[in-house]
Amino acid sequence: MENKNPLSPHIQIYSWNISSLISISHRIIGVINILALTLICLWITLLLLGETNYEYIKFFLQSFLGKFLILCLTWSFSFQMLSEIRHLFWDFGYGFELMTSKITGLIVIFGSFVLTILIYLIGKQII
Amino acid sequence: MVNATKKWIFLKVSSVILIPLMLWFIINLVSIYEKDYIGIVSFFTTQPSKFLTSLLMIVAFFYSSLSISEIFEDYIHDEKIKNIANKLLYILFIIIPLITIMVLFNLNI
Repeated sequence: MENKNPLSPHIQIYSWNISSLISISHRIIGVINILALTLICLWITLLLLGETNYEYIKFFLQSFLGKFLILCLTWSFSFQMLSEIRHLFWDFGYGFELMTSKITGLIVIFGSFVLTILIYLIGKQII
Repeated sequence: MVNATKKWIFLKVSSVILIPLMLWFIINLVSIYEKDYIGIVSFFTTQPSKFLTSLLMIVAFFYSSLSISEIFEDYIHDEKIKNIANKLLYILFIIIPLITIMVLFNLNI
C-alpha cells in the first residue's frame, strides 16, 4: 500500500529561525563530514601506492585549494561537534527553553568559527 | 526494548565516543596534512594513531549509517526504494572502514 504520510521536515514552508537553521545545517554538515571521511579513507588507501605516487597528493594538499579544504573540514568538524554537544544536553532534558535554545544555537554558529581557529593554531603548534 | 529505542541509544552512545575522536583527529590532520610521505605514513603506522584512527572510522561510519537512515526515513517516500537505499548504505559503510583499517594495519615505511 502506498504511504500517503507527508514527508518531513517541510523546510520550504517553515519560516527560518536559528533552531531550524542549526537543525538542517547539522544534517547537511553531517553528510558532508562523512563524505570527507570517505575521501580521507581514500587518501589513507592511496598511501599503499608508495612515495612517488604520493607526490601528486602532496602537491594538491600543499596548494591553496588543499589548505582551504582542510580549513573547511576543520570548520565542519567543529560545527558538528558543538551541535552534537547541544543535542546531548537536550537528551538530558536541558536547554529546551526558547531563549536558551536561541543562545545555544548562536554559540554553535559563532563557536564553530572560534573552535576552527583554535584547532588550526593548536594543529600548527602556534599555541 | 523497541528497535527505535535501541537505534536511538546506539546513536547517542556513538556520538559521545565520536566527539573526542573527531577533535583528536582534526587537530592531528591539521598538523600532518602538509608533511611528506614518510611523515604521513609514520603518523598512521604508530600507536596510538593507528588504533584511534581505526576506532574513529568504525564509530563515524556506524553513527553516520544510523543518521543517514533517519534522513532516508524523513525524505524517501517509497518503502521499496528506502529499503534498497538502507541496504546499500549499510553495505558501503561496512566496506569503507573495513578496507581503511586493513590498509592501516598493512602500511609500513
